[in-house]
Amino acid sequence: MAVKAAEVAAAIVGTYPAALCVSSLGTATSALRAASDDGPHFYLGAAMGSALAVAMGVAEAVPDRLVVALLGDGELLMGASTLWSVSAYRPGNLIAVVLSDGMYSITGGQELSSQPRFAAVAEALGGIAGTRVRTEPALRSALRDLGRPGLIEAELSERAWPGPSPFVDPAKVRLAFAANAAPDRQ
Amino acid sequence: MADDKWQAAVADTLTAGGVTVAAYVPDTRLQPILSRLAGNGICLRSLTREEECVGYAAGQRVAGQRPVVLMQSSGLGNALNAIGSLAVPYRLGLPLVVSMRGTLGEANPSQVPLGRAAGSLLATLGIQSFSVRDAAAAEQLTAGVMTLAFEAGECAALILEPELGGGREGS
Repeated sequence: MAVKAAEVAAAIVGTYPAALCVSSLGTATSALRAASDDGPHFYLGAAMGSALAVAMGVAEAVPDRLVVALLGDGELLMGASTLWSVSAYRPGNLIAVVLSDGMYSITGGQELSSQPRFAAVAEALGGIAGTRVRTEPALRSALRDLGRPGLIEAELSERAWPGPSPFVDPAKVRLAFAANAAPDRQ
Repeated sequence: MADDKWQAAVADTLTAGGVTVAAYVPDTRLQPILSRLAGNGICLRSLTREEECVGYAAGQRVAGQRPVVLMQSSGLGNALNAIGSLAVPYRLGLPLVVSMRGTLGEANPSQVPLGRAAGSLLATLGIQSFSVRDAAAAEQLTAGVMTLAFEAGECAALILEPELGGGREGS
């Protein structure tokens, strides 16, 4: 069964329609836009390596909401030390889902130089439940059942550009997300 | 002579301005500010890298909270991408507290280039910075930086200059 980035995002949005999602630049942002019909999520247009930190900030700011970070594998490799921070502070409302295809997509399809093994790293750090999934049913099961904070490494079996542009309008993203995340604080 | 009155003034003004969480990478001169913030009941987050602090604070800010980021000036280089391609374009209005190294009295040559460039780097990104050199000005400048950040929605930096002393002398 082929697993594409757009299907991973669709599984997240389908499983948790009320979750606050944060997507890293490139494929993740395009996939989340497609899956949620441009829903009020936090789409990063750049700042590679920062998306998990943003999601952790949101999670701790809004502890009564589930927060899902949708991350590229090159993205998380660049900001991997945030896994240590998640392990340290352990927000129980945070799930990170990594689009694992071993490739830097937005920069032109160059291969990562190593296998990141994020799920194994998360488990080794302690305080983060990690798992690697290869099928959509396994992904949906992990989304529902994995401990939190959790990290799901979703192995993509097909590389397909989800569709929408990853070049978002920051002002629109901020306003829509803020109204969703903290309507009483605007 | 080390004197932590200015550090208490910065911390108490941040607290009075409604700061909810402080994300930081450790620094000798920042430590009394952080201890005071913790004593005031403010949540502290010691993170691994200054860029991560900006990302974390961006998430807090867009979710309606009032974060502050504290770093040593040498860490500003680490933070530039998150500042320039996240905090500034999304107009997240983060107050940055920067403890200066690499300028007046610096003995470590490796600290000098980034310290010398810190103000220019911020200015090039359109971020106003305000230098505290005298403890008597700490409250006013801290409050002003918070107003720029939280009310006007502009990132703004409070620069803790070496003249304040506070812990790095002789290091």
